[in-house]
Amino acid sequence: MAQEQMPPREFLWDMFQKLDKDRSGSITASELQTALSNGTWTPFNPETVRLMMAMFDKSNKGTITFDDFGALWKYITDWQNCFRSFDKDNSGNIDRNELRAALQTFGYNLNDATVATMLQKFDRLGKGTVLFDDFIQCCIMLNNLTTAFRQFDTDQDGVVTLHYEQFVGLVFSIK
Amino acid sequence: MANFMSPMPSREFLWDVFQRVDKDRSGFISSDELQMALSNGTWTPFNPETVRLMIGMFDKQNRGTVSFEDFGALWKYVTDWQACFRSFDRDGSGNINVTELKNALTSFGYSLSEQVVSVMLKRFDRFGRGTILFDDFIQCCVVLHTLTAAFRQFDTDQDGYITIHYEQFLNMVFGLKI
Repeated sequence: MAQEQMPPREFLWDMFQKLDKDRSGSITASELQTALSNGTWTPFNPETVRLMMAMFDKSNKGTITFDDFGALWKYITDWQNCFRSFDKDNSGNIDRNELRAALQTFGYNLNDATVATMLQKFDRLGKGTVLFDDFIQCCIMLNNLTTAFRQFDTDQDGVVTLHYEQFVGLVFSIK
Repeated sequence: MANFMSPMPSREFLWDVFQRVDKDRSGFISSDELQMALSNGTWTPFNPETVRLMIGMFDKQNRGTVSFEDFGALWKYVTDWQACFRSFDRDGSGNINVTELKNALTSFGYSLSEQVVSVMLKRFDRFGRGTILFDDFIQCCVVLHTLTAAFRQFDTDQDGYITIHYEQFLNMVFGLKI
C-alpha cells in the first residue's frame, strides 16, 4: 500500500477542529462517520468507523484525541489512495476483477469463488461492486481472519483442524 | 426459545402497533423506523446490526422493509426474545452477566466452556461492564446459531471437529449472514 507523508501539525489541527463539531477536544464515532464519504449519498459504513476508531483509540475511551488523530488521518488517506489505484475505471467502486487484483497485491492468492463470496458480502448496492468504506472493512476482516487461521495452522500447510468451541471462540473474537 | 412462545395477538392489535411504528405512513417499516421503535432498556440506540438481521429474517419480498403481512411474525419474534431475556435476567438488572448468559445458552442446548462464553460476552459488552443488553443478547444468540449451523455442515461425522482448508474457512466465514 502506497504510504502518504505525515502532514504538518497545523494542517492536522485544522482538520481535527473541523471534525470535532461539538468542540469536546475528541472525535466521536458519529463525528468521524459524518466527515467521511464513500462517494455516494449513503452513510459511511458504521462498522468501518468502529473498526478504525478501535485501531487508533489508544486510551480505549471510544473517541479519538488529537494525539491519535495524525495516525488515523494517514490511515484513511493511504486507504483512499489504495482504493483509487485499484479503481481502474474511476467508477468510485471496485468490481470483482479490481478486488481480486487488489488482494493479489496485498499477497492474497484467492480463487474466484472466495473473491465472489467476499464481494457478495460487501456489495451494498447489489451491483456486483464494493464502495470505499466496505472495501476497507473487507480488507481488515480478511487480514484478521487470516491471522486467526494462521494461529491454528502451526505447520503452515493451509489446513487446520478445529474443535467446535475453538471455532466459536475464533469467530467471536474476530474484530 | 420454545418456552417463550407467546400467542399471536389479534390483527387489530398488530395493525395499531404497525401504524405507530410506520411513522412516514409508507405502508412499510424501514430499518430506521424499527430501530426507533425498539428499546434496549437504556438511552443508547438499539443495535443497528440486530435491526438489520431481523428485517432480513422477515422481509419476504427482499426489499429491506417489512410489510404488514410480515409484521405479525416480526412482532412475535421480538416479544418472544423479550420474554426469554427477562427470564434469564435473574436480578432484573436489564442486562445479562456471564453466568446468566451461560444459563441461557445451556437452556438452548449449547454446552460451552466458561472461556468461550466470556469471549462471546466480551464481543457484545457495549459498556465494558461484563454484561450485555437485550439487543446485543439477540445478536449474540443469532450469531451463535448461524455459526453452529455452518460448523455442522463441515462436521459430517459429527465428532465436534472439522478439518478445513484456508479458502474453505474464508468462504465459510464471509458467507455467514452475521
